[in-house]
Amino acid sequence: MRVTFPHMGNIWIIVKTVLEDLGLEVLVPPRPNPKSLEAGVRHSPEFACFPLKLNIGDFVGALDQGAEAIVMAGGIGPCRLGHYAQVEAQVLKDLGYSAEMVVLEPPRGRFPQLWDKIRYLTGHRPVGRVIGALRFGWEKLKALDELDKVLALGRPAEAVRGSAAAAHRRAVASVCQAASIAGTRKAARAGAEDIALTAGASSGSVTLGPPRSRPLRVGVVGEVFMIQEPFANQEVERRLGEMGVETRRALYLSDWVRMHLLPPPVGLGARRRVRRIREAARPYLRHFVGGEGLDSVGEAVLHESELYDGVIHIAPFTCMPEIVAASLLPEVSRDLGIPVLSLFLDEHTGEAGLVTRLEAFVDLLERRRAVREGRADRQGIRLRGDAPAGGHGGHPVASRPSSPTPREAHGCPLVGFSGWRRGPR
Amino acid sequence: MSLADGSDLREGSTIGLPRGLHHYDLYPFWRTFLEDIGFRVVVSPPTCRRLVEQGCAAAADEACLPVKTFYGHVMDLRWNVEAVFVPRLVSLRPGTYTCPKMLGLPDMVRQNVRGMPRVVTADFDETRPGRGLLEAGVFLARRLGRSRALAKRALAKACGALRAFRGSLEAGASFDEAAGEAIRLGQATPRGANRPRPAQAAPMDPGTDRPDLSPEAKGCARRLPPRNGKVRVGVIGHSYNIFDAGVSLGLMEKLSRLECHLVTSEMLTEEEVQAESSRLPKEIFWSAGRRVLASATKFRREGLVDGVVHVVSFGCGPDSMVGEIAERETRRYSDIPYLAVTIDEHTAEAGLVTRLEAFVDMLERRRRRTRT
Repeated sequence: MRVTFPHMGNIWIIVKTVLEDLGLEVLVPPRPNPKSLEAGVRHSPEFACFPLKLNIGDFVGALDQGAEAIVMAGGIGPCRLGHYAQVEAQVLKDLGYSAEMVVLEPPRGRFPQLWDKIRYLTGHRPVGRVIGALRFGWEKLKALDELDKVLALGRPAEAVRGSAAAAHRRAVASVCQAASIAGTRKAARAGAEDIALTAGASSGSVTLGPPRSRPLRVGVVGEVFMIQEPFANQEVERRLGEMGVETRRALYLSDWVRMHLLPPPVGLGARRRVRRIREAARPYLRHFVGGEGLDSVGEAVLHESELYDGVIHIAPFTCMPEIVAASLLPEVSRDLGIPVLSLFLDEHTGEAGLVTRLEAFVDLLERRRAVREGRADRQGIRLRGDAPAGGHGGHPVASRPSSPTPREAHGCPLVGFSGWRRGPR
Repeated sequence: MSLADGSDLREGSTIGLPRGLHHYDLYPFWRTFLEDIGFRVVVSPPTCRRLVEQGCAAAADEACLPVKTFYGHVMDLRWNVEAVFVPRLVSLRPGTYTCPKMLGLPDMVRQNVRGMPRVVTADFDETRPGRGLLEAGVFLARRLGRSRALAKRALAKACGALRAFRGSLEAGASFDEAAGEAIRLGQATPRGANRPRPAQAAPMDPGTDRPDLSPEAKGCARRLPPRNGKVRVGVIGHSYNIFDAGVSLGLMEKLSRLECHLVTSEMLTEEEVQAESSRLPKEIFWSAGRRVLASATKFRREGLVDGVVHVVSFGCGPDSMVGEIAERETRRYSDIPYLAVTIDEHTAEAGLVTRLEAFVDMLERRRRRTRT
């Protein structure tokens, strides 16, 4: 049985590793590209969210190459992901494909259900072997996320455009080829060093503009697929990096696994982060809304205290949880003084429009930085000399005319109860 | 942030109910409950252009028309009431959720609308034990300084009103008739008295021989009047789209003016919805979407209608999935025509009329052809 699965960033390397380690024949679909997108858009429901359209594109590509079964993630709501597999099955059925779809979803109180699916998929191989394969995949996932993080920091520093990305590609290839856990770790270490050296060494030899204390730092929050898949987000991270901005995703896949899948002692730090996100979001949003809606709001609030210069919020068009987040992020931005740019993307998003918005956003961040460091006045006019101008220093939050009253900050008072910190009894 | 104290909302304080979203599912329940715990209830006026426009200005661009309209209703109420009631309906049935936007609604409204009075809210979540409609209702009344006994009596009456409301809807009444009837019933009952059985609208022709029905047709089909030569159109969609003429641009009225006999997805009983849903490989986990798909399946399987009109809000998440399954299955397993009408704040009435007329003309032609 030749198995395929949908793309999401680098996840294909991990899924391929795990499934092949279990002795399955794996067919990786072609990376998302304009042609697969076109097929996906043509066959998908008009108002389905963007990831579903890309999934369909991937599946059509893989099934045409001879895949026989699809491994797909599921969910229990209220995000649409929970019904992706059913709709995709309908679409593929009408297209005349007869692929079997194995849906892995969080069990609704009955863990055996998920385990049965895994066992079915793996052809009842010994439990130890399954666990071993999952551990190997986990190691690769950590390595790939680490490389992405190093790349996001190295890119703004690179002198030769694309050199860090080239080093990153080499590193990913060597992680991909690593055949053991130790080999993966070694490849990751060497790759991270290579990226840092390539970026650092080249920037050391050339001076670019006025030296700055540190580059602008932007947090990327939003829907998990859109953040991980560069084809879906039109390579926002690369574009920002090339504008000299360090980026960091609010959620790397390894964090997600730590938060939701790993047993408590391993994922303790991540779970603490989940609680902090909830607490941070609480003045704005008191309840989960499915998907990553609550996390987007909470992360934006946390990013302010973590001294990020701005937040970019990315979501697929019509994404329900992120619409809730996008309704509340302007309030976060107003209260805390951290700039937030919400981007709803789909197949109609034009490159030029996106670039213009990103450039304007980065300009805004630059100017705020200059004002804060006393290099410009509030209108953004450059001041002479380097000495900080009187009255314009300090953090923008501290220097705002007056701190908002709670009523202004958090909208009108809420009566009743919400969030259930104190139960009904 | 701790929640503000609501105990100063005394007997006779005015509380506003925005006429949008869950209003069309639970209005008699909220109204009876809030009046019985001593509030004066004000409902915003029916949706009109002005409300939609002011809602669009306040809500996020990406939100759907019903949510924007809800904002408009809240804005209309805000100056005239002491508090606006915006519950957080997480789940109305174990195993299902409402739309994520409903989950964020009190927070969105509270912060996006300027000059709001207090927002009275509570989380109603049937997926978690002890947090369902009734339990949370008691807790909310306690937070508002009312006694537990009063709350329980009010809720019992509200449940009666809700049952009567559902009963009338299932018998084919319009929203206004059903809600008016249910609320009158609640008001006529003195506080705490045992409620008489709701005067359920009797089935249109119970027991009579129905040659137009297949022998196994049950429930919904039995409640429908005979076709009498008219085409019968199934209108499926979320209650706030079907019943709110301001949102759906009077779709229901337009269809009945075209001499159609209408069946809506709200006419299915919960048991019928459950029966259809359990046939699916995976049950739909949105309560509204579950009903939409169940009615589409029932209409198709039992051949109850000549055509299906699906009213969808532009960008509706649940309906983008549910509607796709419904449409594909209707097309694959039957020859019943299926029309999806997508509506947003830019939809023009003339375009809608043209599409509906063309659709009904086509149904009539098909009906004549099959008869001869």
